[in-house]
Amino acid sequence: MKLKAKPSYEQKKARWGWIFVSPGIVFFSIFSFFPILNAFWTSLLNKKLVSLKKANFVGLTNYIKILTNYDFWNSMKATLVFTVGCFIPLVIIGLVLAIFIHSRKRFNRSLQLVYYSPAVLSSVVAALIWFLMLQPTGLLNQTLNTLFSTSGVDYKWLASGPMVRLSTIIVYFWKYIGYFAILYITGIGKIPTAIYEAATIDGANGWNQFKLITIPLLKPTTLMVSIMAMIQCLKTFSTQYLFTQSGAPSAPINVITLNIYNTAMRDNNLSRASVMSVILFLIMLLLTIVQFKTSKSDDVSF
Amino acid sequence: MNSLAMPATVNKNQMKTLATTFNTLIWLFLLTFAILILLPLVFMFTASIMDAKEIITMPYRWIPSEIKWANYARAIAGNDGSYQFVRNIANSLIVSISIMVSTIFLSSMVGYGLAKFNFKGRNIVFLAIMATMMIPFETIMIPLFMVALKLGIQDSYRGLIIPFMLNAFAVFQMRQYLLTFPEDILDAARIDGMNEPSIYAKIILPNATPVIATVAVLTFRQQWDTLLWPLLVTQREEMKTIPAYIVKFAAEKYADEGAMMAVAVIASIPVIALFLSLSKYFVGGSSTYAAGKE
Repeated sequence: MKLKAKPSYEQKKARWGWIFVSPGIVFFSIFSFFPILNAFWTSLLNKKLVSLKKANFVGLTNYIKILTNYDFWNSMKATLVFTVGCFIPLVIIGLVLAIFIHSRKRFNRSLQLVYYSPAVLSSVVAALIWFLMLQPTGLLNQTLNTLFSTSGVDYKWLASGPMVRLSTIIVYFWKYIGYFAILYITGIGKIPTAIYEAATIDGANGWNQFKLITIPLLKPTTLMVSIMAMIQCLKTFSTQYLFTQSGAPSAPINVITLNIYNTAMRDNNLSRASVMSVILFLIMLLLTIVQFKTSKSDDVSF
Repeated sequence: MNSLAMPATVNKNQMKTLATTFNTLIWLFLLTFAILILLPLVFMFTASIMDAKEIITMPYRWIPSEIKWANYARAIAGNDGSYQFVRNIANSLIVSISIMVSTIFLSSMVGYGLAKFNFKGRNIVFLAIMATMMIPFETIMIPLFMVALKLGIQDSYRGLIIPFMLNAFAVFQMRQYLLTFPEDILDAARIDGMNEPSIYAKIILPNATPVIATVAVLTFRQQWDTLLWPLLVTQREEMKTIPAYIVKFAAEKYADEGAMMAVAVIASIPVIALFLSLSKYFVGGSSTYAAGKE
């Protein structure tokens, strides 16, 4: 312990500290900070993927072009529909499931395992399973025909605009509902049982305990889950990509990530893809800041 | 309050039946939901060993009338008999395992440096690394692709691996875990004349097994799922990874549903095996690990 007083020892230790963190500094500089700065810079140029001409500085021209572009707004709409359509059921049904599972004394863990299982699969595999089930001859379409005795009707799960949107939402909901339910279960687990015991002694019944203890104390968790689900939904790509590659109409599910990918790789327009990247980044940054702010101010201390 | 007006015994009995009914309803809901969640998975497994005609025969036979392993043979050989699938799944394994190993080493090094060494600027380095979590891959994939072009690593294993050799979440996990590691042991080792690299290799690494397991599973699963980056950075078919192959296979010939599900099953085996062997890290209370990253 006395060694600590020697300045040389402290200096040596500090040097080793730098050596250990240096791979991190180098890595994140090249593969995180440089690219995001470069995205901002490229969005102000007219850079093409395959071009002999040197890219010129064009200022905000790309932004004006994008913001007046129908295709971009269509993507924003597709992303918004998907995000809202996904995160609301995820947050609400996730909460209901978590409370129900938490109230079970038996099979608690097994239920969690079952609900979580689709999250283990690759997004592409999940999309492929549903792609087959949603075919006109597929399991889901035919089951609906049996249930509603509408033999031979094609519900156009992969053909009509609103239905294909619904289909992508179903895939996502199925894959992630267990994941978000478990996030809630963790949150519920953090509420001390003493509060419930005190409430029981005071004569509060199950419903009142739920309404007056569980729900208010779960507010921070709910906020966290909501924003995580939103950010997660904004990044969706695999399902939409597989569906459109396999012949589903692209306009209704041309989400922003898919548009960025196509603009860069199919249209070779790196600058316009960068503009959309920057816009997506700013939206997510805003959501993350909201998450930090609310999680700080709303933190419940037990 | 008005319940007080009722005779106590009736009230109690009523409450009891109400509670039982409620309880049964919850079980009914949970079980129905569980079945709905499982059905697509059961469909995947059963359809993968079914005749193509039987898959679209309704009502669906949850137990195939005849097991057709030929689906798997077709899945492995591919529609053109090129065995591209084998190459692509090998690529996925190579890339995912390389990234997993490098993430374990690099994140434990950086995490150790941040947790156990005092140096000027340490907090800034830590905050900067944490800030990269706010830069989702989807927003930087285009400039990252340009970086890969500039480094000349496109269309190669290096291009698939290098940009993901480390991630901020893994650093965070390592740092949090190592913060609690007793300082005395490290000081004792130093007094014994052990140098810093061997302290890291012989004391820190062996004692970080739980967090290494978590980081390993999450990193592997994440990489196994990655579709966007391989689509961007690879051009040759033999460099593609399994998610890109699946999309191509599905778009190629959509009629052969049995083979498609066989592909899906094979592609899921590594993650299912990993998940089953380490499920304790994902469910049952200690799910903070699962919560971290998708």
